Amino acid sequence: MNDQLYRLVYISRNEITGDDETVHCEIEKILSVSRKNNAIANISGALLFNAGCFAQVLEGLHDDLQNSFERIQCDSRHSNVIVLAFEKMAERRFPSWSMAYFGADSDASAKFGDIMQQSELDASLLKGNQIFDVLNEHLLDAEPSSV
Amino acid sequence: MPNEVAQILGNAVHLSSIGFAVVTADGVVNYANPAFCEIFLISFFETHVGCLLVEYPLIRFNSSISKLKLALNCPAPAFIQLHVDPDLMPLTLDIAALNDGARVMVAKRGQGSQIEFEPPNGPYYRDHLTGLGNRRFLDEILANWQPNSPNALSLAVIMIDIDRFKKVIDALGHCAGDTLLKLAARRIQSAIREQDTLVRVGGDVFVMLHTIGLQSIGTESVARRIVELMGRSFLIDGQQVNISASIGIAALNHGTDTITDLLRHAEFALYKAKESGQGNVRFFEPSLALQALVRYRFEIDLRRALVLKEFIIMYQPQVNLTDGSLQGFEALIRWQNPARGLLSPLDFIPLTEETGDIHAIGEWILHTACKEAMSWDGNFSVGVNVSPIQFESERIVDIVSNVLANTGLPPDRLELEITESVLIKDFDNALKQLWALKSLGVGIAMDDFGTGYSSLSYLNRFPFSKIKIDQSFVRGESSPKTRVLVQSIISLGATLDIITIAEGVETQEQYDQLAADGCKGAQGYLISAPIPTKAIGKFISDFRNKTT
Ligand SMILES: Cc1cc2nc3c(=O)[nH]c(=O)nc-3n(C[C@H](O)[C@H](O)[C@H](O)COP(=O)(O)O)c2cc1C
Repeated sequence: MNDQLYRLVYISRNEITGDDETVHCEIEKILSVSRKNNAIANISGALLFNAGCFAQVLEGLHDDLQNSFERIQCDSRHSNVIVLAFEKMAERRFPSWSMAYFGADSDASAKFGDIMQQSELDASLLKGNQIFDVLNEHLLDAEPSSV
Repeated sequence: MPNEVAQILGNAVHLSSIGFAVVTADGVVNYANPAFCEIFLISFFETHVGCLLVEYPLIRFNSSISKLKLALNCPAPAFIQLHVDPDLMPLTLDIAALNDGARVMVAKRGQGSQIEFEPPNGPYYRDHLTGLGNRRFLDEILANWQPNSPNALSLAVIMIDIDRFKKVIDALGHCAGDTLLKLAARRIQSAIREQDTLVRVGGDVFVMLHTIGLQSIGTESVARRIVELMGRSFLIDGQQVNISASIGIAALNHGTDTITDLLRHAEFALYKAKESGQGNVRFFEPSLALQALVRYRFEIDLRRALVLKEFIIMYQPQVNLTDGSLQGFEALIRWQNPARGLLSPLDFIPLTEETGDIHAIGEWILHTACKEAMSWDGNFSVGVNVSPIQFESERIVDIVSNVLANTGLPPDRLELEITESVLIKDFDNALKQLWALKSLGVGIAMDDFGTGYSSLSYLNRFPFSKIKIDQSFVRGESSPKTRVLVQSIISLGATLDIITIAEGVETQEQYDQLAADGCKGAQGYLISAPIPTKAIGKFISDFRNKTT
């Protein structure tokens, strides 16, 4: 039980305001903190950003995820955090990324935008797997970008 | 310790840049080194005359007095931080109790976490689960609180309660409940300011003391933020858990005059918040106190009623619609209170269900009705209402069998009347107990049929002895729609081989109609109003004379 891996997928609404420059700067901050903290907590995953929304996949041990998520949830840079999936998994899908990033101009983000549009932002229609698949698929053929 | 060493140590302490003092548990300074005097702005001379530490201006900010008093009184080593001036580094005090009761204090300026109202270490003032202060800590802080700076002119109590906490425990277990409380504590803590205090007062209730300064009070926005934070998903035991929290607020000078009323008023407000649903924030208003007082008095009177023998049972006759014969009586409780007059069950039974007094009262009704039925001239049945709450304890079967044994009433003369809600609450448990009751030989009637869900599956799952058609249908029987409904209930009864009896029959027309439709029994003012036990003998003989 103690070495059981879990995967958490959530989406949230972006609350960072300002011009592109400011937004980039904030996201850069989020990424650098995430990479530092996640490496320590042995958490891997990916973050997807698309103007209005974030989607994030986090993988790691139960308590580590619980801990990080408590912090992340209370971050005022996003709101309306909706958990799409919290489930056991056999192995990490993003083992080498403490936080892979897909920015607004990435294919993944465009796809994510499509999904969000299709479901008309109705989270109950969204499946954690959909987001996860987008992230996973694009990770295989594209290197996550820096901001 | 050789004198020489003591002297060296003494000198070192005297010259140290770390503040050092020996004080009594009451805060009288017996010794302080110059560094300590400097930090606290005490003149070295004063320390020789036993000055009182808590009187020094530096301490008097932001409720620090009460904290310091607490820390000094703590028999275990305590560690507190005082924030004296926003621009200055916080002051850290380590306090240890010596064998003779004196306290050694070490004072440093500098870092440490920014939590201002850290309860003194040690289990006495701490909630071991969350690490927050406990009820005792809260009481001490409240007892010592004084408005003492522009940032702390007034005080608000924010009482936070997790909605349906019991449900979480039922579903996920106590361990998950504990985790939830810990995570919730951390979230709430993230919403509070340095000068505020958060404690867990027990169960799933947290109390936050919120100091109010010159600016607008802002308490409500803190409360809303907490509600918002608690509404976010928790990850517990591999599950996503969603809860909500309700909040009651009381503030000094905003409807509450004294500190001693703060907690009570916040509780009233919380109670009101919960009444109006989940995730609500309610401010205390004086009218709430009045309502609560009225209710409280009512509750007290009601609790005494059993002992003071203020309950009586009235019996309403039931007749057989096929041959007009007298069948039995339904026992109906009344509360005869000198000040309140005669109260019907609707006025007080719901409250006894909330307080749990229904168990004792329910048992009393059963016993009294069975005993009185034994004195009647004839084998008439007696119907007794049983509350869903009585089914929650597993004792109902024992109670009924004891009553039958003690009063000698033949089981087939007793009929327990239950409502659908008995079955809705916990179907399997209720069914088990109903079968056990049935095997004692007593009848089970379905009361108020037609008003609730009236799920047919209930009627199918248990052999009820009777269906009681609710009086609202009987009264409305003149409307064609209702009439069809009543007819279908009656034929349903016939199909399932369950006797149907109509309640609230008031006119001869209704009576004839029901008889024509095939209803088996009737009860209502047309036959008789409920009558006291001493009038039953006469009623029975009159009835016999009338029909023969
Ligand atoms: C959309 C979003 C995703 C984030 N992801 C992470 C993450 O994966 N790991 C992490 O440590 N912090 C993440 N953060 C940042 C945290 O909310 C928090 O700011 C950070 O952990 C620093 O917390 P600290 O200042 O208490 O150390 C994220 C923030 C946002 C808005």
